Amino acid sequence: MQIRDYIIRRLLVLPVLIIGTSIIVFALTRIGGSPIGIYLSHEMNPAEVQEMKERFHLDKPVPVQYFYWIKGVTQGDLGWSGVASAPVVDVFPKKFAATMELAIAAGIVAVSLGIALGTFAGARRNKLADHIIRVVSVGGASMPLFWFAILLLIIFWVWLGWFPIGRSDPNLFEAIAHPTGFYTIDALLAGNFAAFRDAIWHLIMPAVALGYGATAIIARMMRSSLIEELQEDYVDAAKAKGLAERVVLKKHARRNALIPTVTVIGLTFGFLLQGTVVAEIIFRWPGLGRWMASAVLRGDQATIMTYVMFTSILFLIVNLVVDIIYANLDRRVVLGE
Amino acid sequence: MSPDTIYSSDSLSGDLIASVSDLKVYFQSKQGMVHSVDGVSFDIVDGEMMGLVGETGCGKSVTARAFMQLIQTPPGVLAGGSIHFKSQKQCKKCTSSGCDDCSNTGREIVDLLSLTERQIRELRGERIAMIFQDPGKALNPGLTIRSQVAEVFQEHRESDVFERAGIADTMSGLTSYLLKQYVRQETNFITKLLLKFPPFSLARKKVDKAINGLVSEALAETQIPNANKIMERFPHELSGGMKQRVMIAQAIACNPDLLIADEPTTALDVTVQARVLDLIKDLQKRHKTSVLYISHDLSLVRRVCDRVAVMYAGKIVETGDAETIFINPKHPYTQGLIKALPSMTHERGKLEAIEGMVPELIEPKAGCRFASRCKQKKANCDKTDPELKAVSNKDKSHKVSCFLYE
Amino acid sequence: MTQDSRTNSIVINGLNDSAFKVRLNRNLEIIQSVLANPTTVIGLVIVILMLMMALLAPVITEPNMPDPYQMPRDWQAARSAPLTPGHVLGTTNRGGDVYYGVVWGARTSLKLSLIVVCLTVVLGVTIGSIAGIVGGKVDEVLMRIVDVFLSIPELIFALAIAAILGPSFTNIILALVVVFWVKYARIMRAQVIRIKQRDYVDAARIMGDSKIQIYLKDILPNSFSPVMVQATLDMGNIVLVGATLSFIGLSEAGIAEWGVLVSEGQAGISAGRWWASTFPGLMVFLWALAFNLVGDGLRDVLDPRTETKR
Repeated sequence: MQIRDYIIRRLLVLPVLIIGTSIIVFALTRIGGSPIGIYLSHEMNPAEVQEMKERFHLDKPVPVQYFYWIKGVTQGDLGWSGVASAPVVDVFPKKFAATMELAIAAGIVAVSLGIALGTFAGARRNKLADHIIRVVSVGGASMPLFWFAILLLIIFWVWLGWFPIGRSDPNLFEAIAHPTGFYTIDALLAGNFAAFRDAIWHLIMPAVALGYGATAIIARMMRSSLIEELQEDYVDAAKAKGLAERVVLKKHARRNALIPTVTVIGLTFGFLLQGTVVAEIIFRWPGLGRWMASAVLRGDQATIMTYVMFTSILFLIVNLVVDIIYANLDRRVVLGE
Repeated sequence: MSPDTIYSSDSLSGDLIASVSDLKVYFQSKQGMVHSVDGVSFDIVDGEMMGLVGETGCGKSVTARAFMQLIQTPPGVLAGGSIHFKSQKQCKKCTSSGCDDCSNTGREIVDLLSLTERQIRELRGERIAMIFQDPGKALNPGLTIRSQVAEVFQEHRESDVFERAGIADTMSGLTSYLLKQYVRQETNFITKLLLKFPPFSLARKKVDKAINGLVSEALAETQIPNANKIMERFPHELSGGMKQRVMIAQAIACNPDLLIADEPTTALDVTVQARVLDLIKDLQKRHKTSVLYISHDLSLVRRVCDRVAVMYAGKIVETGDAETIFINPKHPYTQGLIKALPSMTHERGKLEAIEGMVPELIEPKAGCRFASRCKQKKANCDKTDPELKAVSNKDKSHKVSCFLYE
Repeated sequence: MTQDSRTNSIVINGLNDSAFKVRLNRNLEIIQSVLANPTTVIGLVIVILMLMMALLAPVITEPNMPDPYQMPRDWQAARSAPLTPGHVLGTTNRGGDVYYGVVWGARTSLKLSLIVVCLTVVLGVTIGSIAGIVGGKVDEVLMRIVDVFLSIPELIFALAIAAILGPSFTNIILALVVVFWVKYARIMRAQVIRIKQRDYVDAARIMGDSKIQIYLKDILPNSFSPVMVQATLDMGNIVLVGATLSFIGLSEAGIAEWGVLVSEGQAGISAGRWWASTFPGLMVFLWALAFNLVGDGLRDVLDPRTETKR
């Protein structure tokens, strides 16, 4: 009833937001002047230049160009990437899989570590462990990813030599088939343990670097939620039943404290998404982020537009899903108690 | 011996279930140490309903929570005293044959405040139970009714559960281990996963069914209709009165010796109050449970309690039979409380309020705490603390803490 | 001026204007509570140190001529490790003194954050106020635009804008302003709507104050707190995002800016030259951390309801 209305309202607004975003993105690219540059070369004569212009509809007024773009998108034509020298649509899937693998790994690190640390700190409020975790958390929220990543690189790659850079060892990588595009999963499917280990080993540093900021945010939220829940009457009531501290903490307090933390996890996703740009540059990860970084430096507008649209839509959807889950979970909020 | 005498030895008079001796609970605050409970002593007779009356902030809730060591220790500090309780265990010295140590009760007397975490957990929910003021807050909003009531059985009646499930004898090593973990709520990711699959899931379902039966019976005891349906609901789906019944059902599920009721009807509508009160009284009589009934409402307490202790600013000012205290209150504070009650027999007109405010309890000075508001104050009331003493030699059970009677 | 021991408020003798006294009291109390929190004080100390470093840059280093914001190039001393004479923190691949970069980078960061925050606050507060006061269709349209802006992740949005406009320091400022003004619009609009409903606004209206008077006297002063908190947090955040943009390459090469320095220092890492990236990066961290601590401290005092959300 109430939840359903809320969901419907949000879903109806979604396409409006997406269209609005696409307009802004498109307008942005046209502000910088015609993007014809990337399609030309010095050898072309004026006639060929004109032909290029017509081919990409750049002789038409801007709103019309917008519609050509949208039309192209719906037909699967996302433009030509100057950086990759190939249609965007061809390059996208592989890079997407690489970035997703990294983002998911970082997400797993962030959520599990964040919840564990937050619970640990919240249950031991104002004791030493709590203070240490709080300091680490505050640091994490202000941490520049590019610096943290470089530090990890210096320590674990240059000095200690524990972890490699990049996504894979080419020999192992080439040796297996890639049905999913996820190196880890493909290695498991192929039963190739060496490749699997290779995949994980390459994942660790970037995932930790990318996930640290999110870990800090989640831990902070979890800690404060837990402290709030522990002051509620039902915690005393549970203790009064003779339950062990562990059970009271996990089954009663933590479960309820997770609810507001879920919203933060949604926020985390945005963090991770943006972080991939920097992380992929530093760790030489062949994903969307690094592609975008090159595109940005070389004016590859097709890539830029696709990337911005893609991440925005993803961002919107994830936020919507998180809000819906939250609305469903928190019965207190929903019924306005 | 009459109740409410201060014991200094590890013993309890035969007719008592619990005795609070000089209990002191303080709280650390930025401005200093708050003396919430400052030398409180009273007894609870076995099988009776004992009232603890006082206004908000007088320390009655803290006293109640002290019984089960539910005070958060920072910022709370247990500054002294003891709470003796007649446990179900055999007296160590005489092994139930009767001796002086256990006042011939045959049972072991323990000081609740000195028990370890493990020891007090055994008592909580089983021998001593508590119902809280606001059932909406005292029930976990994220768990079903069944889940919460079941916890009492899972914690204290494990063997009953297995017996009822009919699998006590047929369990192999692994199944037995898994199911025990399950009932004790000590499962981890792996054991939880295993229990989802046969053959373990079959046994687990039988256990679930047994627990459901026990929960259902417990709920029925408090006259909750459609217990099976209610079990699956969440707390916010129930009315206030219903929630309180669930709390009560949960508390008496294991037939405790002592039930502590912390203002159980304050958060309820007036019409529901009466019914819940009658329910508690009825259960008390049937199971011969001792009840410590805490309230700020003296008229309510008069209705259901056998004896009453009146508390003010962290100290007991008067104890005695409920009826006696009501008809013949000795302490000026008690008198003021009674005068302030609206009544059908008084004339219409102004209600008499007690003037003044409760004193601050941060490092309090010596002297009677009520002195600043007392109309019958005398010279030495500000200088020393009065002691709880019998009013007269005829009626030793009626005690007052006031210089008017010394 | 004395402090009343019972209520802990400040008593100023001889000051007749009671409204002024009340406001001064309140502000002093706020400052006292903020300073009571140790982590906030640490943040404040770091902020002050940073500001001093930025302001005293020409004094504590030898300014590079003709443009002090350009990193000096001393090819002979290039690639020196820290603690070589004359170069306490080492030098970059091109011979730029890392210490110089750190100090002048603080100045650059100060310029960046101040300009961006001022512009975003003015822009956001204006638009948010208009939306809140005028209401109706105007409000709806403006808020839809805000929503669209918010649906693009911050860094990516700034990245795209800076990319389109071309790599330069000024363009980074522009990009950040375009991305970050929306927060203030939202805050301001919420405040306007909240306060519009308050009784004392009705009272003012009855007394005949015009809309502008109400806005200036009642709404604006009361909206100060959340805007202040956000602005403080943004002082840190802007430098963080700005440095990231510079790191990716959207700033001019060779200027004394922390992000640029980190990026240029990357080349030496595999060879073991860690200092050119580490020290400037550390500064970004400390800057962001300090303003975050102060901002959090302010928020705890001014709006104690919200516990550690973003």
